[in-house]
Amino acid sequence: MINRAIKPVPSDDITFHLPAFEKFDLENGLKVFFVKRSQLPILRFNLILNAGTRFDPEGKKGMVNLFSMMLDEGAGDYNALELNDEFDILGSNFDINTNNDNIFISLRTLKENKERSLELFSDVVKKPHFDDNAYAREQRKILTRILQLKDDSEEIANIVFENQLFGKSNPYSYPIIGLEQDIKSVAVNDLKDFYKNYFTPRNAAMVVVGDSEKEEIKYLLNKYFKDWNEGGTPAEQKVLNHHNEGNIYLVHKEGAVQTEIRLGHISSERNSPDYFSKMLLNTVLGGQFTSRINLNLRENKGYTYGAFSRFNYYKDAAYFYVSTSVNAENTGNALREIIKELKGVKDGITAGELEFAQSSLIRKFPSNFETNRHIAANISTMIIHSLPDDYFDTYLDNIKQVTISDVNKSAIDTIHPEDALIVVAGDRKTIYNQLGEFGRNIIETDNPVA
Amino acid sequence: MDLLNIDYDKYTLGNGLDVILHKNDSLPIVAVNIWYKAGSSNEKKGKTGIAHLFEHMMFQGSLNVAKEQHFKFIQEAGGTLNGSTSFDRTNYYEKVPSNFLELILWLESDRMGYLLPALTQEKLNNQKDVVTNERLERYDNQPYGLAWEKLINAVYPEGHPYNWPTIGFINDIASFTLDDVRSFFNTYYAPANASLCITGRFDKQQTKDHIENYFGSIPGGKSVQLKVKDPGPLEKDILITHKENVQLERLYLAWRTDKGFGPDDAALDILADILSGSKNARLYKNLVYDKEIAQDVTAYQYSGKYAGHFMIIVTAKPGHSLDIIKSEIFKELELICNQGVSSRELLRSKNGIKSGFIYSMQNLDILADQLNFYSFALNNPNSFNADLERYELVSDDDIKKSVSTYLQKCYTELRILPNEKQAI
Repeated sequence: MINRAIKPVPSDDITFHLPAFEKFDLENGLKVFFVKRSQLPILRFNLILNAGTRFDPEGKKGMVNLFSMMLDEGAGDYNALELNDEFDILGSNFDINTNNDNIFISLRTLKENKERSLELFSDVVKKPHFDDNAYAREQRKILTRILQLKDDSEEIANIVFENQLFGKSNPYSYPIIGLEQDIKSVAVNDLKDFYKNYFTPRNAAMVVVGDSEKEEIKYLLNKYFKDWNEGGTPAEQKVLNHHNEGNIYLVHKEGAVQTEIRLGHISSERNSPDYFSKMLLNTVLGGQFTSRINLNLRENKGYTYGAFSRFNYYKDAAYFYVSTSVNAENTGNALREIIKELKGVKDGITAGELEFAQSSLIRKFPSNFETNRHIAANISTMIIHSLPDDYFDTYLDNIKQVTISDVNKSAIDTIHPEDALIVVAGDRKTIYNQLGEFGRNIIETDNPVA
Repeated sequence: MDLLNIDYDKYTLGNGLDVILHKNDSLPIVAVNIWYKAGSSNEKKGKTGIAHLFEHMMFQGSLNVAKEQHFKFIQEAGGTLNGSTSFDRTNYYEKVPSNFLELILWLESDRMGYLLPALTQEKLNNQKDVVTNERLERYDNQPYGLAWEKLINAVYPEGHPYNWPTIGFINDIASFTLDDVRSFFNTYYAPANASLCITGRFDKQQTKDHIENYFGSIPGGKSVQLKVKDPGPLEKDILITHKENVQLERLYLAWRTDKGFGPDDAALDILADILSGSKNARLYKNLVYDKEIAQDVTAYQYSGKYAGHFMIIVTAKPGHSLDIIKSEIFKELELICNQGVSSRELLRSKNGIKSGFIYSMQNLDILADQLNFYSFALNNPNSFNADLERYELVSDDDIKKSVSTYLQKCYTELRILPNEKQAI
């Protein structure tokens, strides 16, 4: 007979073997990472280009995103529709995504169709058409999409937050989708120039996960990617950080029943020595359901469906922020509680909290490698942030080694509620008067990008 | 296909709880998934949203688990967890390292058997606030966020249990009492009305023993069968217009169709893909690509246990008329009805569906949920091949028939239009 009053203890410790990756370079300089995984007859290919929207030129914000949208609008022997049909008939999923730092081109294919899928993939990489008519259509599509952004408080809050956080001169300041006026001035030739200078094997890496052998992958990638755009490694541009003065930016959204709240500030970058300490700090503060911020705002006060905090790492910048959506009447209350939690964590965390956070992250580790997508994403992170090859081998030790004084020092060094930038997107009539108590400048803005 | 032929054990405990076990040793992880055969279709008008609110209460602790501890125990074990509510069922699921399986069985059995002793007014008030915020955030404050509830309210007749949204209406959510929660629990949350599925790495005999020990002594209760009349076809077109703070006009067309696993369900799925699933899809190519009168288009078949509907959603480009878009949609449907679709179009959809089945086998939690779904709908968890075969067998004639039988009948039309005066 079991005794329900007693929580069961875990059975024997599990053994987990980290999937090993092999690394090699193609002759053209493309770095390749391969992980063999043969549970299912499928493969994933992720090509990562160091060519995200931070390379958008001044006055042409939105160019890189448009560039990435144009890559599969016709390539090699196929126009856009034919190309899409060729992938679909194989049951392959081909996707292109862009963020501030990178363009990601990904392929998911059945093993039996890998070579044909890869051939089509290489057409997109080596021989995009950048056709004038297709370009005009994609440009119009993106301008309509920008118009639609005005509907979405969540997006507006995110855009205003990053824009004010980084300030005008910083490339991370601008939304990935770009600016309306700028997009109108981007021409097809801009895309062709960008392709020549940035879209090169030396500025990229390929991650392959799935049911194959290293020699076969090497053979296939050489066969299809050998004659890709020569070119070198483009110059890196270091970005400037920006100090915010703790203003509140209010974006009016007529009739909004919820207020989107963002509060945060610049933080130390990904290669900072206290990275793991910050990770544990945030696990206590706002990284998961049981963290302080969510338990307070949701499970105690009922102000929101959920609230979280995060350290967000770009290649050349990082910031800390808290994000939530609350019913309009509780905008001020929620802000007060968030600031209270940030101040509170600077007073120190408990040994129990640290132990809990360590246990949670350590035990979760194996499930970070469940699917081909997970594994490819982990290796991509290593590549983007130039992490050492043994990053995942030492990951658990790095978490275990963090002490309570490390976390408490990180809290003092990296959490700054006093001069945090605050963005609220909601109905001015309901929320304006709730913002007075914080004693900060309230700046009303209609335009998401100043 | 051997790949989709899942090795499993299915058996029923003395109290009626169905158990499905599928071992997969590739990682030291285990996924647990429980279906309760209760959803918003078990609600009444005026008391909508109780199934979903109840789902929230299941995370508030039980006799031997204090408030917040349910989440804490699982997150401390490095696990993930959640639940979801639909018309037909509510599910709860966790994924943890294999050595914490017993913890999950303890937690799930404690709330299946012993939730009520831990229920308090304070917890209920808190979760009513949380759910109200969930509704405001995910529906009321989203652009076009009220479209779903306006549509189903018209697509399904008064008295049909799909007539209201799972999230519930604000006033109904506010009205729930402890007695409502208790009565919902007593009616639906019983072993005989539930199914437990475990996938991943575990010791089979030991797990069977644990399941018997933790769940076997919970009183069985009853399996609840709902009697639902088939709504039949709509008798006349229904037109709804709604203005809100959006930039672009959007058109929704909905037809009553077949239910899940009904004879025409698979053909309707493939039809949806042929209309909007890719750049070459009929409506996408026509409206978005060639004519550029629409910004986006989506078509899908919603397949419930008791009924289904087919939906087409199109957002107009600025300055383009929904009337023209609508007439283009009907022209495409007529074309398919008269001339059918090409063998290439059929093959493209079928290949996408087939590879989708294979890709989905990677996730233990998706697998566990799917096994419970098949067991619920077909009484056989190992139905991947049978399910795939439904799609393989769809012919050009089936597609034509699905258009003529369902989509050339009366429909519900919703237009969401921008308010005259625009504010950001």
